[in-house]
Amino acid sequence: MPATDNQGSFLNRISIRRNQVVSMDGNHEQELEDLELFQKHVADRFADLLSQSEDTLGDGLLSISWLRKLLDVFLCCEAEYKAILLLGRDPSQISKPPLDKLVPEFHDRVVKALDVCNAVSHAVETVRNYQKLAEIAVTALEQRPIGDGQVRRAKKALNSLMILLEEKEGSNHKSTERAWSFGRRSTNATTSSSKDRATSASQFRSLSWSMSRGWSAAKQIQAMSSNLVAPRGGESSSPALPVYIMSTITVFVMWALVAAIPCQERNGLLTHFPVPKQLGWAQSIIALQEKIGEEWKKKKEKNRLAGLLEETQRIEKLGVSLIVFADSFQFPPEADRLEEVAVQVAELGETCKKMEEGLVPLQQQIREVFHRIVRSRTEVLDLLDQGGKVTAPVM
Amino acid sequence: AARHIVKALGSNKKLTFSARKTLAELGTQLSTIAALNETKGDGVSEIEDRLCAVEEKILSWEEDQSMIWDSGPEEASEYLNAADEARKLTERLESLCLNKDDDEYKLLHRAHNVLQKAMERLEEEFSHLLFENRQPFEPEHVSFRSSEEDVLDEGSIISFGDESIEDSLQRDSVSRASEEYILDLVHPDVIPELRCIANLMFNSNYDQECYQAYTSARKDALDECLFILEMEKQSIEDVLKMEWVSLNSKIKRWVRTMKIFVRVYLASEKCLSHQIFGELGAVCVDSFVEASKASMLQLLNFGEAMSIGPHQPEKLSRILDMYEVLSDLLPDIDALYSDEVGSPVRIECHEVLSRLGDSVRATFLEFKNAIASNVSTNPFAGGGIHHLTRYVMNYVKILTDYCEILNFLLKDRDEDDPSSLSPDMSPTKEEENKSSISTMACHFQSIASILESNLDGKSKLYKDASLQHFFLMNNIYYMAQKVKGSELRHIFGDEWIRKCNRKFQQHAMNYERASWSSILSLLKDEGIQNPGSNSISKTLLKERIRSFYIAFEETYKT
Repeated sequence: MPATDNQGSFLNRISIRRNQVVSMDGNHEQELEDLELFQKHVADRFADLLSQSEDTLGDGLLSISWLRKLLDVFLCCEAEYKAILLLGRDPSQISKPPLDKLVPEFHDRVVKALDVCNAVSHAVETVRNYQKLAEIAVTALEQRPIGDGQVRRAKKALNSLMILLEEKEGSNHKSTERAWSFGRRSTNATTSSSKDRATSASQFRSLSWSMSRGWSAAKQIQAMSSNLVAPRGGESSSPALPVYIMSTITVFVMWALVAAIPCQERNGLLTHFPVPKQLGWAQSIIALQEKIGEEWKKKKEKNRLAGLLEETQRIEKLGVSLIVFADSFQFPPEADRLEEVAVQVAELGETCKKMEEGLVPLQQQIREVFHRIVRSRTEVLDLLDQGGKVTAPVM
Repeated sequence: AARHIVKALGSNKKLTFSARKTLAELGTQLSTIAALNETKGDGVSEIEDRLCAVEEKILSWEEDQSMIWDSGPEEASEYLNAADEARKLTERLESLCLNKDDDEYKLLHRAHNVLQKAMERLEEEFSHLLFENRQPFEPEHVSFRSSEEDVLDEGSIISFGDESIEDSLQRDSVSRASEEYILDLVHPDVIPELRCIANLMFNSNYDQECYQAYTSARKDALDECLFILEMEKQSIEDVLKMEWVSLNSKIKRWVRTMKIFVRVYLASEKCLSHQIFGELGAVCVDSFVEASKASMLQLLNFGEAMSIGPHQPEKLSRILDMYEVLSDLLPDIDALYSDEVGSPVRIECHEVLSRLGDSVRATFLEFKNAIASNVSTNPFAGGGIHHLTRYVMNYVKILTDYCEILNFLLKDRDEDDPSSLSPDMSPTKEEENKSSISTMACHFQSIASILESNLDGKSKLYKDASLQHFFLMNNIYYMAQKVKGSELRHIFGDEWIRKCNRKFQQHAMNYERASWSSILSLLKDEGIQNPGSNSISKTLLKERIRSFYIAFEETYKT
């Protein structure tokens, strides 16, 4: 087998082992070939993602389209993983060590991933709220002639947006959705009527958590990555490897989603998790991890953690700038100032359009990933059941 | 100035004809301009006047912290009229195609300002009205609290090794499909107001704000509803970890909630958005979907979690309940979310249903396996009816309630049944009955035979042959009785019952033989006669008869 650069020492190890084994049945060789192919494919796909992440035109790291591609990669890898696990080998192998422990462990991890999928799916709705607020600002500021009325309207929307984006770690950011309709009244907390409204609305703040109480995305990711142990040299050609690869991919994908999209409780999100650097197929994943981790740290310092989604960041940046414009607006406006603003408004409009076109398909893809994980898990579990039990004669 | 000229010229009688003509033309032109100026001035000043009035009205409420709609219907309609007026004025001014230097441009600016303030205020009022006038969901109105928190159904703790199983496994008497039922989710008096505000905001291009206010308020209301129905949000992981008792009651709650939520609450919600946004096109559907999506998906997620969980046999009837309710509600859900916007909910629903179906099949198989592998180490004391027998027969009896569903779900797997029809064909009722019976019959009969062979195995634990038969006799009798005395009769068929009875009788006979044969042998002639003589040894005979009596009594006692 030709050793490609990507595989590095790994393939060497495999080939050495193979040379050492005296008798090989054809099956085993086929397995190894499939395994190598799998690793190569994984490496290639993630390298692709890595190169797309350098895109500065808006489809780069953690943009909607990048995330969608990431999910596609996940689905492809998952399909290949399942094929390797189920088709290429004797099904009873699954009930023997080391798989008999690894596979259920994998499945537990995967259940957590299902919950993460749900949380992210809900959280995409929050992102759509950002989009809708931004759209109001765009509608207002696109009007000509532009006057105090439109600017006021835009400012109101943008202020609500900023409040939403300013998720402090550990706070219930959903409560600020109520800020939407309070408008100026939220600042005037002294009068009884607005106080009443504030308290009665706050009764239901707690109900708008999308996941159960105490559920934390950060903790789930942590738990998922906690027993992610690379198989040692001796096991590297065993079935433990594909399970490890798929586990790593799953954890990475979930982590990236959580970083990008503001789901429930991301306090203390890991910024990296250990993947041994010498694994060929993992190089791009490690690189991407580092990039995303960097971004996360940067944002954390500024206390604006409403998700690293590229489009969200763009909206934020433009929003801040437009608020400055709105604050200093005086009628009638100067022509060149107007032109500057028009450019920004157009960009904001573009971003909103991207979100409009991309968020719903993103949600659909997340559901697809969810269902695929469920199906695969069921199939493998069934196989495990059959391997472990003696089935009674039926009919 | 023009008049001066005219006067001066008029006095000059020596004007040439052309001069006079020019003057006349000049005169008419000047007067037309003057007239135009007046009408223009009039038109704009009219607008200005009205704008001033409107502005005053709207600005007067700016500083007021109380809610307009709380201050009475007159205030409210005055404000609405003022706002509407502002909108119209804005439109008129826009249509005048003013350029920047006109005074009127400033007027337009003012008008926009006023309109914006009005819209902002209306949005607040709208939210306030929605919030204050919502009518919290009261489950009592919908006969919700039927036998809700039965601590446990008698004997619903079921695991195969459980000795304490009661004879009665009650099927939870969930009320059959309720009718669709529309509630007033918001006080009906307020609805026309809301509609007016919505129409006005949409006509003024402030639709986004209105839409957001509405969906935000209704999402909260739906959350509140689920809270009242005690459906907590749970992660899939939590559900998988739940122990059976709490899971059991949660499932029952879920089944009831689904019915009420879909048929009553969602139907009412859709009606509400129609009432408010009915004249505004697609919005009324969009707003409904947007408001209800999250809650619906939350409910469906529980179904998903259940289907992922381990397939323990005791769950079978509960999962069947879940399948049944979801399958019943499917047409309602499809109707509620019939548009493109609603397709994610529909898709999810179908997905969960199919997954629950898989779960049913797997659990049913597990049920059979569990029967087969139920092993005892000691013979069952007393030789009476084993609790496994009781359990299985009672469970099977419960399953007859789900006959249709089981037929449908198990049909595909049923390779031995040659008369199984494809689900696509629509058979006549008779054919359907025949084929559906045979599917269930096959499965139930196979369950019975698995049970029998298991009982056979158990009977071998008895050293005493007669006890073996005694045990089997009792159990098979029980099985036959259970089948005869219930709907199982139709499923198993008379033929099976006859066979069963024959078996029972055979065992009874064997039992008799086994118990009495030793005694009867005592009565036999052999060995009594003294060898070589024809007389019967009296002593032997006496002994025999005595041991006969003893054995008889003993056997009689056991």
